[in-house]
Amino acid sequence: MLQNQIKEEKSLLQRGWWLILLIVLSLIVPFIITEFYLTILCEALVMSLLALSFNLLFGYMGQLSFGQAAFYGLGGYTVAMLMTKAQFNFWLSLIAGPVLAAIIGLIVGFFCVRLRGIYFAILTLAFGELIFFIVFKWHNFTGGDDGIQGVFPPEFLKSLISYYYFILIVFLLSAFILWKIIHSPFGQTIISMRENSERTEFLGINIARYQLIAFVIAAAFAGLAGAIWVPFYRSVAPSYLTWIKSGEPVMAAILGGPSLFFGPILGMFIMTFFHAWVLGFTVYWPVVMGALILVVIFFLPGGILGFIHEKVNQRRERLNQLMEK
Amino acid sequence: MFLQTQGITKEFGKLRAVNNVTLEIKKGDIHAIIGPNGAGKSTYFNLVTGYHRATSGKVLFRDKEITNLPAYSRCNLGITRSFQITSIYPKLTVYESVLMGLLSHRKVTLNFFSSAKKFFKEEVWRTLEDVGLADQANTLGDSISHGDKKRLELAITLGTEPELLCLDEPTCGMSPEETDIAMSLIKKFSEERGLTILFTEHDMSVVFGIAKRISVLHQGTLIADGTPQEVRASEEVQKVYLGGSA
Repeated sequence: MLQNQIKEEKSLLQRGWWLILLIVLSLIVPFIITEFYLTILCEALVMSLLALSFNLLFGYMGQLSFGQAAFYGLGGYTVAMLMTKAQFNFWLSLIAGPVLAAIIGLIVGFFCVRLRGIYFAILTLAFGELIFFIVFKWHNFTGGDDGIQGVFPPEFLKSLISYYYFILIVFLLSAFILWKIIHSPFGQTIISMRENSERTEFLGINIARYQLIAFVIAAAFAGLAGAIWVPFYRSVAPSYLTWIKSGEPVMAAILGGPSLFFGPILGMFIMTFFHAWVLGFTVYWPVVMGALILVVIFFLPGGILGFIHEKVNQRRERLNQLMEK
Repeated sequence: MFLQTQGITKEFGKLRAVNNVTLEIKKGDIHAIIGPNGAGKSTYFNLVTGYHRATSGKVLFRDKEITNLPAYSRCNLGITRSFQITSIYPKLTVYESVLMGLLSHRKVTLNFFSSAKKFFKEEVWRTLEDVGLADQANTLGDSISHGDKKRLELAITLGTEPELLCLDEPTCGMSPEETDIAMSLIKKFSEERGLTILFTEHDMSVVFGIAKRISVLHQGTLIADGTPQEVRASEEVQKVYLGGSA
């Protein structure tokens, strides 16, 4: 037992150093890269938050939500409408975004958590499209396909660098909270549901209730991602809520590795930067992305980070065996 | 009264799998349900644990009607079960699996910010040592042997600190040595933890080895209920087991 504890602590330290390195790097990066790439980095961070919220359901609870962008869009629209139409304060609007997303998540989730597997996925897709169509068609209220323009952050956040730091702080805090949730007893419960929902139910867990809680948490963080993105982009459009947008966190998770916390983040970073880079040569981005996903699915079934993780573990085991000899 | 079923019946379409069974399970007993294949043992079991709902009749636990309660509520009242086809967590470690039962039973599953690994260390290790799986604590559920999986499921269910433990074919697929170990474990838990055990079993040596009370089902109907000696002496039981379905 003691030996295992020592091993655990050691791996925590090993895990720690590259994380600290990444955070330090993210603090100094605005002074190294160009404005273009800093903008892309902001997008990658916001989309990574969306991917993390999605992966709470997909990677940890084992249910594929195909309507996550609806909550992202709702968060964005809440901020845009409160600020431009009701002249709300920026910070209050920012809080209202995830709150509204969570409330709608509660209503949508109430129906979705009764189903599992493909039916859950289809129902989330249907609800996502329903919310999209309401936003898209309700011209008087939401601006319809024009969207809403002129959403400005407060003066001190107007520069690219200051808003980058703002996004970074929100992202790090949210990622930390999600990490805590996943490693908490609640997290252990949804992981157990993924592994064997029948066994878990027969240990006294009301499966639908826990699915609903996870669904609301995921909706809130997706809403938060949308809420911080819109003032950065100064506008919001109905395309934020479409199923195509919902597909992005799905692809990011598969690309990076859904079984690891940092998998979807890596996936989203690759997708966002690759996208920006490929657009310099060709407009056929989906073809390139499709090929990339195919390669990962066929050759790295656990995702890129999943593959690396497996290799590192195998190597460590081999080293341990050698040491024992 | 501990557990009682009153005239419980379950129909699947035209098939009456369990027919009007009235039966009492006393606290502290090791109670076996036996019968030929298709006798309705598993169905009866599923009616008690909430896997199926009864077509008619009542299930009472500590004088409270639980006939229509969902499985998780019954578990929270103190009824836990194992499955005939071993139901464990293949990709969780043995330690994490046992922890899950405790997290659920001690009502901490709505804690969002403490580390799950900090909870109930002592209890998990004690349970693992009791069932003899402590040295495999960090192994994944699907990498241990079949007999160990059965023991793991037992350890998971013990995590919920049940009052009534229902075991569906606890020695199914085990080697004779593994069967012996499992039987002595069941006996031990019944004595040490004051557990009431209800189990189905096809291996008669197991049944007559540890059961204090035996109920015999045949074609969904209860045909005998009593001590092992009484059941062994029953003519009807002998007819069912020796003379086919006459």
